[in-house]
Amino acid sequence: MANTEAALKDAMGSIDGAIGVALVDYGSGMALGTLGGSQSLDLNVAAAGNTDVVRAKLRAMEMLNIQDTIEDILITLGGQYHLIRLLTGRGGQGLFLYLALDAKRANLAMARHQLRRIESELEV
Amino acid sequence: MTAAAPGTGPASSPLARLAAEGATGALHGHAGALYLADGAVVHAESPVVPDVGRRLTAGGRLSAEAWEEAVAEGGPDYRAGRFLVEHGRLSRGELELCHLSALFDAAFFVLFPPDSSQRAPERFLKEARHWLGPVRPVPVPLLQRELRRRGDLLRRAWPWPEVDTAPVVPVPGAVPAGAPGAGPTCGRRAVLQAADGVRTPVQIARALGRSAFTTLLDVRRLAAAGLVRTPPPDTGPGAGPQARTPLPARTPAATVEVSLLYRIRDALEAL
Repeated sequence: MANTEAALKDAMGSIDGAIGVALVDYGSGMALGTLGGSQSLDLNVAAAGNTDVVRAKLRAMEMLNIQDTIEDILITLGGQYHLIRLLTGRGGQGLFLYLALDAKRANLAMARHQLRRIESELEV
Repeated sequence: MTAAAPGTGPASSPLARLAAEGATGALHGHAGALYLADGAVVHAESPVVPDVGRRLTAGGRLSAEAWEEAVAEGGPDYRAGRFLVEHGRLSRGELELCHLSALFDAAFFVLFPPDSSQRAPERFLKEARHWLGPVRPVPVPLLQRELRRRGDLLRRAWPWPEVDTAPVVPVPGAVPAGAPGAGPTCGRRAVLQAADGVRTPVQIARALGRSAFTTLLDVRRLAAAGLVRTPPPDTGPGAGPQARTPLPARTPAATVEVSLLYRIRDALEAL
């Protein structure tokens, strides 16, 4: 029964190496909540930009006629991981969680696992 | 002609003033109302935008009875939202997300009504509160920044606002049966299927119980892709010689060329 702010705090506090996290509506590209970030990582800009990533992937899947859903998208940079997790709950359609991680401090498998837990606690 | 571009019109000034005063009450007009508490926006409603109840019941998340009960029991004390959470109908997170989506959606249509016969609200009812109760207040500068971004998104998708208020007319034969690419996952196919040549974008949004802004954006993208018709400017019943602001003449040939360029750009971007 977490509220969105608590879910974002949970993500920042419990996931090793978390730099920033955002909950994004990919219909409009608006961040419904953000936590963390820095001068070099504006989470509102990241929210709008990554909406295009999600839309492009959904479109590519459709052109390939793949009848499936995206669970998550991992983008590996030199020094960071960016993880996008699409929410699946009944009220959460059209939303994704966006998590930026410091590659040196992050445990990717654990981060994916914890993001899945946070999604289920958000109960959307 | 067209509504003032978000952020540039006079629409934002009464709101900015009320925010600076830390006002509590409802700023209202024909296009809807914004509710403020201590200078922050706590609720927005527009008759053309699906509200929180419509969103929750259209997708089957709540029964109409559960919603009605919350309004009847919690409404008189301005706490219908809290009633839903306390009685286990919704999680706190679900209520927040649904409410925020509805708030930004409605605020766009209240402050920048696509229907040019409507104006942004100027009347302020002091101390008015909404029966849903506070959920998550939105600071006015944040709201204005987001609405400007949304206006830019619409213009970038297809810069002819005529498609926002006209019936959505699919171009015959533009989508071969079973053709990929229209994107049901992005909602555009649902919009296209609901387009019967009579409904306008906001009527489609209401029928589908989804965001009116997202539906506008989908319609503009469909128009850019050549899948729905873009009405020629200045031919609506309200337009004509008596139109108040004369636009620079745009010849049909020029319109076609520009629209072709947009389509080429979109096709290149989609590669």
